[in-house]
Amino acid sequence: MQPHIEILDKLKAHVFKTLSAHYQSLDNCKYADLRLGISEFKSASSENGQSKDVTDDYDASFGIRVIAGEMSSWGFYGQSLGRNDFKNKEITNLIITAINTAYERAMANAKKKSAFKKKADSLTGVRLAKIKVCQDTVPADFEIDPRKIPLQKVLKTSINVSRQMKELDPSVLYAATGIKTGITRELFCSSEGANIDQSLPLTQGVVYVSAQKGESSPEVCYDYIGDLKGWEIIEGKNCYDQSFLDFALERTKETIELSGAEFLKTSKGEVVVVTDPHFNTLLVHEIVGHPTESDRILKMETAYAGRSWLYKSSDENQLGNRIASPLVNAFSDPTVMGYGYYKYDAEGTPARRIDVIKNGILKTFLNGRENAATLGHEPNGSMRATTSAMVPIVRMTNTAFGPGKKNPKSIIKEVKNGYYIVSHRIPSISESRENFRISAKKVYKIENGKLVKLYRGGGIMANSKDFLMSVDAVGNDFKMFPIPNCGKGQPMQIMRVGNGGPTIRGKARLAGC
Amino acid sequence: MIKTEDLRTDVSNALKYIKKHKDVIDAEVFASWNDLITIRLNYTSDIPCNGVYEPKSIQSYGLGILATFKKGNRIEVGFGSVTNDLTKEGVLDALMKAKRNKVYDPDFKTLPDPIDKPSLKNYHDNNVMKISGEDTVDLGWKALDGALKALNNKGHKKSIIIGGDVTILRERMAIKTTKGIDDFDETTSLTANITAMIENKNVKGTGWSMGTHLATFKPEAAGREAAESAMRTIGGKKIRSGKHNVIFGNQPLTDIASNVLIPSLDLSSVNASNTPFLGMLGQEIASRNLNIYDDGSIKGETGTKRITCEGVPTGRTDLVKNGTLIGFLADNYFARKFKSNLYNPIPRNGFRYSTNGRDYKNKAGISPTNVVIGGNKETTRDNLFKQADNGVYIGRIWYTYAINGLSMGDFTSTIIADSFSIKDGKISSPLKPNTIRINTNIKHILNNIIGITKKKRSTLVWGSGEVVIAPEIAVRNVQLDNIAGFLG
Repeated sequence: MQPHIEILDKLKAHVFKTLSAHYQSLDNCKYADLRLGISEFKSASSENGQSKDVTDDYDASFGIRVIAGEMSSWGFYGQSLGRNDFKNKEITNLIITAINTAYERAMANAKKKSAFKKKADSLTGVRLAKIKVCQDTVPADFEIDPRKIPLQKVLKTSINVSRQMKELDPSVLYAATGIKTGITRELFCSSEGANIDQSLPLTQGVVYVSAQKGESSPEVCYDYIGDLKGWEIIEGKNCYDQSFLDFALERTKETIELSGAEFLKTSKGEVVVVTDPHFNTLLVHEIVGHPTESDRILKMETAYAGRSWLYKSSDENQLGNRIASPLVNAFSDPTVMGYGYYKYDAEGTPARRIDVIKNGILKTFLNGRENAATLGHEPNGSMRATTSAMVPIVRMTNTAFGPGKKNPKSIIKEVKNGYYIVSHRIPSISESRENFRISAKKVYKIENGKLVKLYRGGGIMANSKDFLMSVDAVGNDFKMFPIPNCGKGQPMQIMRVGNGGPTIRGKARLAGC
Repeated sequence: MIKTEDLRTDVSNALKYIKKHKDVIDAEVFASWNDLITIRLNYTSDIPCNGVYEPKSIQSYGLGILATFKKGNRIEVGFGSVTNDLTKEGVLDALMKAKRNKVYDPDFKTLPDPIDKPSLKNYHDNNVMKISGEDTVDLGWKALDGALKALNNKGHKKSIIIGGDVTILRERMAIKTTKGIDDFDETTSLTANITAMIENKNVKGTGWSMGTHLATFKPEAAGREAAESAMRTIGGKKIRSGKHNVIFGNQPLTDIASNVLIPSLDLSSVNASNTPFLGMLGQEIASRNLNIYDDGSIKGETGTKRITCEGVPTGRTDLVKNGTLIGFLADNYFARKFKSNLYNPIPRNGFRYSTNGRDYKNKAGISPTNVVIGGNKETTRDNLFKQADNGVYIGRIWYTYAINGLSMGDFTSTIIADSFSIKDGKISSPLKPNTIRINTNIKHILNNIIGITKKKRSTLVWGSGEVVIAPEIAVRNVQLDNIAGFLG
C-alpha cells in the first residue's frame, strides 16, 4: 500500500517532539527546523494521440536546517523518504541522524568561520529576524479532489487533447500534452515552537506543438495552464476560462497561423510597444520579481542568478527612488490564488502582500528571516524550496504589475505607429537585471490604432529602467498566469510562481531574427 | 551509505522475483544510492556574511523497475520505483506500480541489448566516498581563502564579493535486465566554480577546478584564478554595437554548447521537431574545420561514467565531423525509434539524472556526458588572436537562451566578465562587464569559424550536467549590441 498524505496525521506530534527533544540535547545549537513533505500525484503524457507515460505515485522527503556554534553557522541535510520510513521508530532514527549531520556541518563551519574572521571582518554569525511563531493546519482547497480522478481519465484526457491538436492541420508536425494533478502536504516545525501543517493541491496541463509550412523553420509553442486547485483546472476553471482541450486547440491554431507568418526584423531604435498581460507575466517576473529578491540584493547570487541593479550598497540603492513611471505599480502577494499561493512560507513566516513598486517608487524587497535581519527589514515570508529535501531560498510569490484604469482596446487604438507584443516566450536578462530581451509568441504591427500584420520570431529588448520609465498607459485587464519552471539556486531548484499584470504601453527596441 | 555490492545483490534478487510473474515479458531493475554535497560560498566585504554559507546535502537511494507486459497482441510498458527499500516487499511494490503505470506506446520497441564491454575500471576515489563533514566544509573555506588572498595581496580589501560553490557528487548504481545486462558503476566528482568581484571597479572574474579525485582537486586554485581574472579586467571600456570578430573562450563556448547546440543535437529534439538541424543528417551544417563528439568514457573527466543508466557501456558518439552532421545523442527508446537502414544510433546517452545524480525514480532520458569540441586544423592561442585580428575576446557570458526556440537557432546572452577588446591580433583593453548583449544564431556561429585552439579546458556551466571539453573559437561577424547605458 502506498502512503497517503493522511499518514502525517499520526506522525505530526511525534516529529515535532523528536525535533524539540533532540535539539535541546545538542551543545551550542541555536536553532533547528524541519520540513517533512509528501505529495500524491497522478500524471500522464501523450504525443500525437499516443500514450507515452502514466504515473500514480507519491514522493516524500525531509530536510533539516540547523544553526550552531559560537559564531552561529548553518548546516543542512535532506533526503528522500520511502514507505517504510513513515513509522515512529524509523522516522525518529532518520530525524536524529539528519539533525546530527546538519549540526556537525554547522559546528565545523562555525569553527572555520571563527578562525577566518581575523582576515575577513565582515564575517558574522547567522541572525534570524523575529516572526510570529505559529501553530496551524491549512487544508488543501479544491472543488474536485485530484486523488479521486482515475488514472485512466488523466491519460485519456491527455491522449484526446494531443490527438485533436495533431489532427487540426497537416502542418502540425508534433503535438504533445502532459497533465499532472495531486496534493502536497508539508509539516514545518522549529525549535522556536512553530508547528505548521499545510496542504496545497496542484493541477497543471502542458501543451507542446510544432508546425511547419514549406521550407521555413518549424514554429514551436510550449504553454501551460495550472493553479493550486483540483481537477476543475482541466475542466475550465483556470486563468484562461478554457478547458484544457480548448486551450490546447487555441495554442495549436496560433502555432499553425504563425508558421506561415513573416519573421520580425530587429528595429534600429525604440518603437512604441503595447504588451499584453501574458507577455507582462514574464516581463514582471524578470525585471521586477527577480531583482527585488533580497538574496540578489545582498550579492548572494553573484555566481549564479546574478545581482540587482536596484542595490549597490546600503548607502547607494534605489529604495524610495523612482524607478518607473508613476503609472507603474507592482506587488507580491502569496495570499491570493496563483502558483505562488501559500499561507506560510518554508520558514513558517505568515504570508502577506507587499507593495514592491508604488506609483513608480521602489518600496521593498522579497525576503526571508536571515536577509530581513541583515537588511533591517520586516520578514515578509518569501522563502520556498522545491522539495522538503532542499534548502529554502527567496522566491517570488504571486508577483505582478498592478492594474491601471485604461481600457486595453483604447491603449492600442491610441497608437498611430507601433507594435502589439502578445504572449511571452523565452527571456534573456543581463546580470543585474538591468537589461532584457524577451521573445513573444506573436507580434502585430499597429497602424492607426489597428492590428495590420502578424509577425513571428520577435520580441522586445530594452534597459529595464528605461522601459519602466517609458510606460504611458496601464490597462484595467489584470490577469495572473502560472510560471511553472523558474530556476534558481545551487543545486538548481525549479519553482512554480504566479506572475501577471494588465496591458501596458511603453517603448522598446524590437528584437527579431 | 549503501554498498555497491549490496545494490548488485538486490537487483539480482529483484529480477528473480520479477521473473516469477508470468505477465512480465522483460524487465530492467536499476538501483542507486546518491549523495550530492554542496558547500556554497557567500563572502561580501561590505555586507555581513557567512563566508561559507551553507554546507548541505541531498541523499537518496532506491530501486526502479521498467517492465514490459503482454496484453493481447500488444506490448505495454510500465515503470515503478520505491525509495529506501530494497527488500522483496519493496521490489513487489515497485513492480505493482509498473503494472499500474503501464501504457501501450507504439514507439517503445524493447529494452536495451548488451552491446559491448565497458572500458573503465575503478575510476572513482574512495577518499571522496569517505570524506567527513568537516573536510567538506574545509574545501569551501580553501576556495574562499584562495580568492581572498589573491585580492588582498594586491590591495583589494573592500567592495569584494566572492561566491560560488564546491560540489561533491557520489554515486553508486547497479542494473540487471532480462536481456542479459548485469553491471554496476561507482562515480565520484568534485567541482569548484568560483566568482570573484571587485564591485566598485565593476569587474568580475571566474575560476574553476574539476576532477574525480580529492588529491588533485584544488578549490583554492579556482578561487585564486577567479580573483586574478577579475583584477585583469579593471578599467574596462565599452565597445560600439555592430558585427565583430569574436573569440569565444572556454566558458562562453560551453554556455552556448550546453544551452543551444547540444540540446539541438539530441534525438528527443528531433522527435519534437525542435532543432535547427531537422532533416539535416548527412549535410554540412558547420565549417569543415569543426568536429563535435560526446564521450562518456574519458578517464578523469567529471562527466564520465562506466555505463549508462540503461547498462550500455559509455563511449564516443560523433555528432559533427568535418562540419557535417553525422549523428545525434540517443538513449535506447529514441535509438530504436529512429533506427533505419541508413542510420543506426547507439544509445550511449541514456541516463536518469536528477538533482543529485543517477536517480532510480526516473526513467532514462538523453543526457550528454563529456562533449568534446575540436578542429581539424587546430591552432595556438596566439595564432587564434592573429586570425581574429580586430574584435572582442569573450571570457564569460550569462543567461544564454535560444530566444525564439531551439528550432530557429537564434540565441542571445550578455557578456558579464573576463572579456577584452582585440587589436591587431593582441589583447587590448578590458571590456566593461554587463554592457554588451550578443544577438546571433547558432548556424551563424557554426558556419563562420575562423579558427579553433588546440588547447582545451574541461568546463561546466551553472544548471548543466555535462562537461564541455572546450577550446577557444574565433568566429567572424557576430552581432554585439550595447546595453544598459544608464548604469554608467
